[in-house]
Amino acid sequence: MTDIIWGTVTKIISINSFEMNVSHQKDTNNDSYQDVEKIHFTEIDIPSIPEDEQSRNISQIEQSLNDKFVKCEISGRNSENKLVCLVSHSGAGGY
Amino acid sequence: MWIPQILDKTSSYDDLVTGKIPALIIPGVLSKIDCTSTCSKILNISKINRTSIKFGTSLSSHIYEKSKYFSNAQKSNKILKNLFLNNFSPLTLMRQKISKLSEKKIYTATENDRFYSDAVIRIHGNDNSVHLHRDNSNFEMCDYNVSQIKNQLSAILYLQSPVKGGELTIFHKMWNKKDEMMRDPEFGYSADLIKGVYRTKIAPIAGNMVILNPKFYHQIESILGLKSRITLSFFFGESSNDCLYSWT
Repeated sequence: MTDIIWGTVTKIISINSFEMNVSHQKDTNNDSYQDVEKIHFTEIDIPSIPEDEQSRNISQIEQSLNDKFVKCEISGRNSENKLVCLVSHSGAGGY
Repeated sequence: MWIPQILDKTSSYDDLVTGKIPALIIPGVLSKIDCTSTCSKILNISKINRTSIKFGTSLSSHIYEKSKYFSNAQKSNKILKNLFLNNFSPLTLMRQKISKLSEKKIYTATENDRFYSDAVIRIHGNDNSVHLHRDNSNFEMCDYNVSQIKNQLSAILYLQSPVKGGELTIFHKMWNKKDEMMRDPEFGYSADLIKGVYRTKIAPIAGNMVILNPKFYHQIESILGLKSRITLSFFFGESSNDCLYSWT
């Protein structure tokens, strides 16, 4: 089973990475995670962010992700100690 | 005291927008007889379609499925029109009250010539409650044009009161970006956010309409008994052309 963490995006690092405050971790995760993690997203399920990296820019990523509550499905950690994840928004804060 | 105000000559739309008052109650928008006949129609349709919770489409169900949202909105607007036939529409009555209060015209919001969902009917049965949340299209619905609408308010018309419970509790705490850390992954926020925060309650009295500033945290208390709590509701806000636009 894939490990999952949730939290808010605090800083956009590049067109495929950001920093987040981890607020929730799935009970059955195999590993535990720091309160602050850097995420490298290989896939992103957010329509306003193009799948093609060439078509992305930082301001677009900031507008879509900054301060947002996201779900990260983790596939591993890369050589830069970033979590490699599929990123999507999670639930809703209201109607 | 920060308490809901019952509509009178001094009532102010601006007091809702600024949060000076948590809500405005407009009594008797719909007569008890009209509430009963409307609910009877709703409950009949819900039995046939086995839709026990909600009629109508809302953005929160389709945050990132825009085309699905608009095609569902078209269908649900048709259902509501059929439900409110014969020149009797609680939705129209609600809009008239809002228009009078705000002194602005109100329309259903559109995007690329497609209409947003007019309203949602929610049926909450025994033991149902709605967890702590806030409603804020500016922050959460960036992919939709209504995220540009200012001063979002929420209008709720109670169509049927439960035997007990189902009160709307509003907390004197407005949403802040930092609160996203306290989100519940599925829906809403941790109850830790409103520990010790002043709260006020509104009883769900059939026929009454409530307008609230939904950026204040709110929740619906447990419904007790076999009679469901039935409401008709929508959001509305101000556009740059000084008109109000509504959506759900």
